[in-house]
Amino acid sequence: MNDYRYDHRTVEGFILSSIFWGVVGILVGLLISVQLWAPAANFPPYLTFGRLRAVHTNGLAFGLGVGAIFGLSFWIVMRLCKRPLLFLKLARAQLWLFNVGILAAAVTLAMGYTQSLEYAELEWPLDIAIVVLWVMFAVNVFGTILKRNEEQMYVSLWYVIATVIAVAVLYLVNNLSMPAGLWKSYPAFAGVNSANVQWWYGHNAVGFVFTTPILAMFYYFLPKSTGLPIWSHRLSIVAFWSLVFAYLWTGAHHLVYTPLPDWIQTLAIVFTLFLIAPSWGSVVNGYYTVGQDWGRMRSNYLTKFFILGITFYGLQTVQGPTQALRVVSQLIHYTDWVPGHVHMGTMGWVTMVTAASIYYVIPKIYGTTIYSEKIANIHFWLVLVGQLLFSITMWITGIRQGWMWKATDADGKLVYRNFIDTVTGNYPYWHTRTLAGIIFTVGMLFFVFNVLMTIRKGRALERERQAATQTPAAVTAA
Amino acid sequence: MAGKIYSKPIAFSVVATLVVLAGTIATMAYPMLRQEMHPKVEGLKPLTALELAGRDIYQREGCVNCHTQTVRPLQSEVVRYKGNRAAEPQGRYSLAGEFAYDHPFLWGSKRTGPDLAFEGWLKPSRDWQASHLENPQALVPRSNMPSYAFLKTARLDAAEVAAHLRALRRLGVPYPDDAGVLALAREVEGKTEMDALVAYVLSLGKAVDRGGKGELEIDLASANPHGHDPAFVARGRQVFDAQGCGACHGDEGHGQEGVAPSLVDDVFLGVKGDMPDAAYFAVIKGGSDVKKQLGRPGVPDGGMQAYGGELSDDDIWAVVAWLRNQQGHEAAEHPHEEGAEHR
Repeated sequence: MNDYRYDHRTVEGFILSSIFWGVVGILVGLLISVQLWAPAANFPPYLTFGRLRAVHTNGLAFGLGVGAIFGLSFWIVMRLCKRPLLFLKLARAQLWLFNVGILAAAVTLAMGYTQSLEYAELEWPLDIAIVVLWVMFAVNVFGTILKRNEEQMYVSLWYVIATVIAVAVLYLVNNLSMPAGLWKSYPAFAGVNSANVQWWYGHNAVGFVFTTPILAMFYYFLPKSTGLPIWSHRLSIVAFWSLVFAYLWTGAHHLVYTPLPDWIQTLAIVFTLFLIAPSWGSVVNGYYTVGQDWGRMRSNYLTKFFILGITFYGLQTVQGPTQALRVVSQLIHYTDWVPGHVHMGTMGWVTMVTAASIYYVIPKIYGTTIYSEKIANIHFWLVLVGQLLFSITMWITGIRQGWMWKATDADGKLVYRNFIDTVTGNYPYWHTRTLAGIIFTVGMLFFVFNVLMTIRKGRALERERQAATQTPAAVTAA
Repeated sequence: MAGKIYSKPIAFSVVATLVVLAGTIATMAYPMLRQEMHPKVEGLKPLTALELAGRDIYQREGCVNCHTQTVRPLQSEVVRYKGNRAAEPQGRYSLAGEFAYDHPFLWGSKRTGPDLAFEGWLKPSRDWQASHLENPQALVPRSNMPSYAFLKTARLDAAEVAAHLRALRRLGVPYPDDAGVLALAREVEGKTEMDALVAYVLSLGKAVDRGGKGELEIDLASANPHGHDPAFVARGRQVFDAQGCGACHGDEGHGQEGVAPSLVDDVFLGVKGDMPDAAYFAVIKGGSDVKKQLGRPGVPDGGMQAYGGELSDDDIWAVVAWLRNQQGHEAAEHPHEEGAEHR
């Protein structure tokens, strides 16, 4: 309908890159899930659990997550600003640097080059590359917004702006370090202070990579897919400001019962509880939006992705604050409960909404429809079952092991004195987790197949159209 | 009025930045200015060159992904990691001041393997640590830890370690000037990565005294109060198993080559010839430190931990009774086996 030129190729490039790194990250995830119950599946020195876990988390958070965020944010920004990106070539360069960066990240992490800070493992040369990437992204986002052809900025743009700002602050501070060689550095902060800075960063990496940009997608693609307007604009406003305000106070809930000063822990716990409100603001808004016509759940295959996605977001944002409570933390902290929690967010919320957004965008690029709604439905059910099996299994074994660690007899002596006795009970659950991971992976492969086939279909269509426009010209010439 | 901000991207971004900075300043930047974020326990020393090289390997191998380094102030956790042996009550759990030179902290977030914050006290044997890293399943059969045997053949580079020491000095860790750093780093020449990692692990938790109070009172003349009553021997076997003594000394007390000595042969603490029951009692109660008092060398760097903090005297005597019983069996079986060979 709009006749101005969007740079769809860059968006598509980011989506395809994101899918590629997603497959790599998920397969590494499967391997490390096997390593947990089969130590022979470690291949030292490069392919051990210790090194590969970072490849898994970075590959998925930065490869799949940020790759999709770059591509889909560009789409959202262009559409909501009613104009192409301000700097097309810069966006293309960003795509290339992104892929080179993620490749270098995977290789260097397997080689053991790490800062040992969770989600900030990459060593200083790659930190610099990431800062450059982010500046490129920011220049295009802000430039395009400043030169927009639409007076009002829609909710999704607020979330994109907040993401750009917050990630910049977080990343710059937490990665301050003293190089000691090309691939070795020591972070500037030490001890408790280092812990506090890291988890201020770590928790907000979740907030501003796995939450705000995904909410930007949710607020944009849900109404677009369903044709239903967001239920309450006022609720969007309240939820946005309270979310971006409260998130930054909560990092220390990762450090409950550590030597970090108590007041910082308590402050973090209080703000974490408050965070339920803005999170559920978006949940409620999502439900009531589709509530205008629940029939869309049947008639539009994408609606269920968004609704299940926001449901897991809702569960995630209640479970998280619960975990922050001291009485709960002392039982489940350091156990498998926590990976169970994280994977509900990533496998349930982030990939559900991202996949649905990609399903929406790819056919739009080619002016066609999805290759197969049936395959999309199979994908949906497989990732849903895989994720539920994964998370629930991990919660059970987390409580089980946490309880064994704490069990004491009447004399205050440990019931399970040998640590290994508390580990071996995990094995059946770890087997189940691998099974759940396989189910999820198969689901994601259906998704990848569907996207690739849609692109193939779209490209064939594009060629037909070109042929159709050229034929009359040939006739005229003759 | 306020609605206008949604059509003014610059104003919007400024406000969003301030909103994001509020929590950032309150919970991250402001605490950094307070002394409580930079505590240091008395007598805390920076890692030696070898230990630092070990910490670098600990980081490189991602040990932090499975091992935490904070003992929380929870009763069951203090007991599990034997914080209750600490000389001062506050040493029972991890103290903020122990980590002053940790760039970065390595507390971790997942305890797939046990916490290592007090490992220097818990398993002080170099041999045990090295054997365990080389082949974890040989010592802990059901363990899921990967093998780190490759560390045995990798040599350390003194120049690289010196560069690391210099970088840390620039961050405020009290290492000497460049010449001094080079001298420190010379310590790692000829050492392997395994030596380094073990040295680092054994340094953990050592800034605070968690080894109990002073010397043990030993009376070699004191006798086992319950003698060799079969029920008492059976209880000894039970305690031996429950405490996991077999993990080092073998399930039947035969010892394991390169890890821990046999408890049923005629060698005691590295010297042929037995000692009275009370000597066994003392080593179990006080750990390796008692060797000096008994005047025997034992295994160099021997890592017998002290069980006095968690086992009652009766339990320890029961273990001694069971060990004596095993020795009796061994002695009785030997001629029989030899006879079988001659046949």
